[in-house]
Amino acid sequence: MFQKWFSKKKESTTIAIAAPLTGRVMPLEEVPDPVFAQKMAGDGIAILPTDGLLVSPVSGKVAHVFPTHHAIGLVNAEGLELLIHIGIDTVKLNGEGFQPFVQVGDQVSVGDKLIHFDLEKIKAAGYSLITPVLITNHEMLASITFTAGAEVQAGSGIVMEALLK
Amino acid sequence: MVTFTVKVEAEGGLHARPASMLVNKANAFDSKIRISKGEKTAEAKSILNIMTLGVKKGEELKIEVDGADEQEAAEALKQLFASNFAI
Repeated sequence: MFQKWFSKKKESTTIAIAAPLTGRVMPLEEVPDPVFAQKMAGDGIAILPTDGLLVSPVSGKVAHVFPTHHAIGLVNAEGLELLIHIGIDTVKLNGEGFQPFVQVGDQVSVGDKLIHFDLEKIKAAGYSLITPVLITNHEMLASITFTAGAEVQAGSGIVMEALLK
Repeated sequence: MVTFTVKVEAEGGLHARPASMLVNKANAFDSKIRISKGEKTAEAKSILNIMTLGVKKGEELKIEVDGADEQEAAEALKQLFASNFAI
C-alpha cells in the first residue's frame, strides 16, 4: 500500500500528506472562522481531533513554531509549506495547554511528535478544536484531494494528496 | 517605491489570522511588498515568511511596496492595519 503511494508521488509530483492527528477529516469550508473557511490562509483540510497529539504529516523541516505553541509551520523536501493551526482562536490561550516537542530548524519525519495539546482544557475554555491543516504556498498547487468525513489515525495513512503544478 | 511604518495592534501579534489576511491583501496587487521588523525582512506574499518574523502586539513594522500599483497597495495595507484586521 505504502509502496504504491510513494512510487506514485515520484511519477506525478503528487505529495502524499499523512494524518497529523487522530480524528475526523472535514472540508475547510466547515471551519467556523472565515480566514480558514475562505481559504485565505491556504488550501487544505481540517481535522476534528479526538486525541491531543500532533505529529508531522510530512518529512521536512520545522519552519516556524508560534510563541504560543498553538500552530506550527513545516516545509517538506519539495518546498511545500504547511501550516497546522490547533483549534480556532486558540492564540488567546497564550500557550496554556500546549507543549511543543520541536523547535525551528528541526528535521522531522512522518509521525514525529510535534505538539501535545490538552483537548479538555481547550474545550473547557470554550474554543473549537477544529484544526486546519493547510498548504500555504498554494501557488505551487494544481489541486488537492481528500475524503471528507474520513476517520484518520495520527501518523498513518494519507489524509490529503497535493498535486503540484 | 512607497515606504511606511505601521504599528501592530492585533492581540497576539501577527499570528495565523492577521498574517493570512495580510498575505491575502498583498496577493491582490502586483507590487513587490516587503515587511521588515528590525533586521528581519519577509515577503508579504508568504504567510510562513511573515509568521517567522514573530511580530508581537505593539511592535512597529516597516513596509516597502514597489511596483506599478504601489499606491493602491500601500493604501490597502495601511487600511488593513488601521482596521486592526477586521473582516
